[in-house]
Amino acid sequence: MQNNLLLWLLFTPMISSVLVYVVGRFFAPHDDEKPNKTVWLCVAGIIATFIPFILASINILNGKTVSTTIGDVTLVFDGISMLVSLTVLLLGLAVILFSIDYMAAEHSEEKFYGLLMILITSIIGLSTSTDLFNIYIWFELMAVSTYSLVAFYRNRATSLEAGIKYLTQSAAGSIFIILSIAMIFGTTGKISMHEIPALIASSKRIMIAAGACFITGYGIKCAFVPMHFWLPDAHSQAPSGVSAMLSGIVIETGLVALLRSLSALKPAAASFGMIFLIIGALNMLIGNLGALRQSEVKRMFAFSSISHMGYIALGIGFVLTFPESTASANGVFFHVFNHAMMKGLAFLAAGAIVFNLKQAKGDHSPLLVTELDGVSQKYPWFALLLSVAVLALGGLPPLSGFISKWQIFAGGALSKNPWALVLIVFAGINSVLSLGYYAPLVNRMYRHQPSQTVLSGVPKYSKTMLLSLVLLGIFVVLLGLVPMLVSNFTGSASATLLNMFQ
Amino acid sequence: MSYIIVVCILGLLGIGFYCLLITRNLLKLVVALQVLVKGAMLAVLFAGCLVDNMEVAQSMALTIIVADTIVAVIGLAMAIQVRQITNTSNIRSISTLRK
Repeated sequence: MQNNLLLWLLFTPMISSVLVYVVGRFFAPHDDEKPNKTVWLCVAGIIATFIPFILASINILNGKTVSTTIGDVTLVFDGISMLVSLTVLLLGLAVILFSIDYMAAEHSEEKFYGLLMILITSIIGLSTSTDLFNIYIWFELMAVSTYSLVAFYRNRATSLEAGIKYLTQSAAGSIFIILSIAMIFGTTGKISMHEIPALIASSKRIMIAAGACFITGYGIKCAFVPMHFWLPDAHSQAPSGVSAMLSGIVIETGLVALLRSLSALKPAAASFGMIFLIIGALNMLIGNLGALRQSEVKRMFAFSSISHMGYIALGIGFVLTFPESTASANGVFFHVFNHAMMKGLAFLAAGAIVFNLKQAKGDHSPLLVTELDGVSQKYPWFALLLSVAVLALGGLPPLSGFISKWQIFAGGALSKNPWALVLIVFAGINSVLSLGYYAPLVNRMYRHQPSQTVLSGVPKYSKTMLLSLVLLGIFVVLLGLVPMLVSNFTGSASATLLNMFQ
Repeated sequence: MSYIIVVCILGLLGIGFYCLLITRNLLKLVVALQVLVKGAMLAVLFAGCLVDNMEVAQSMALTIIVADTIVAVIGLAMAIQVRQITNTSNIRSISTLRK
């Protein structure tokens, strides 16, 4: 039964993706005005995936193992898989509900939803992998679906530019990952992460070289500075739902893949921890400085994602470097979940505003910060939810972003190492710095007179769009007030992480 | 023999990265990525040789070929689309996003 659970968890979204595409392509008549009805198959697919997920999670929380073996490939559903699956299913549901009206006027909606379901399948599959090559394959599947989604508006040069940049840099990253797998395989003859550590412990140079290649390869995919150049373009040019998925879960999945792969080299974990600390500091600074000078809203959020990857990398660095800072692991996974909800809400709320102000009138130009002036007067719900998202991203209490950042910093402080304390102060300053670009957005929406763009906007509230925003908004507010709601999931994920590197 | 294979791997990787850095043509960019993957694939096969486990190495190489072909197809599709929109394959013709 437990073996079947994991297979169903993977096959349900996979089968849905095929069904959505085939039914949408061949059986549903295309209407440029109305949404393609096959989108509801997609919603049903996500809801159906929740069933094996919930059953598998109950088993995990009761201390049982959920795993399956297909040929030589073993998949294990553990704490990290549970958190990643929960995040991708919730965010995926919100994105699909949001996209019903947002994508209604686009051609090939069925491709969009089919690719989205493949993306969700690949993320769940990646989080359950236990060997280096299997992780790489799931990661390539995820990357292939996101290349097509980023360049979805294939008649726009900017969209293609973003897609090509993403594809080129990501494919170059894959080379490093393959080289690293080759180095480890050539030394140990194994690709299973459980068997490698004992066999590779004496080959320190190989461990360092392979680790460096993993950090470079997966680092490109999770936008570690200085390998982040593709991200602002890709995240700002994709449809808003895809931007939410990319920022909310895809880059974090890169980090999960990196951590799983590095766990095969755990005798050198402390060295990698130092690298994570340096990357974390750089990401926070470069992401925030980049966001401060942006005039486009989605591009600003994309740079903000780089800085949030910095907080997460910092937490990982604390865990790997200082044995006393294991409490940071809980904060790391809480921030992964929170960031998906906060950034998902930010991108989708901005997308809802773009939809009403521009897209409904056939205008595909980006939303500028100045065009948010007075949005609250015409679209109070969108303005409120966007404000909640950006204030949570800025780390203001009592919203969820504050709690997870606090947990990361508090865990780091337990090490009592002076460098850790310096980094915590630096991260705190960066958190305040981020308010330098988030607060003016709220100010513009509530305290400025409506701009011409706002006045000429379409007064149209899509129920499904609002539902998706409210769903994410509830998580952002509620997790700030009652963070223990997901403590079972984050606790289990952090225990798995610590176990991986023990 | 081993040295020759290592030189081949490094040569393919060097040529691939060099082309990736200097070329401005989208089609050549995809070719550069292909050369790179061939270098990495040769490294996987060489690793299999070293540990006398060619079955796993060959299956990995075949899987890499499949994944790599899909990436190449998407890259070429984007390159053709760019050519149709801008009438050129020069990457500079669509480079407008960096601010």
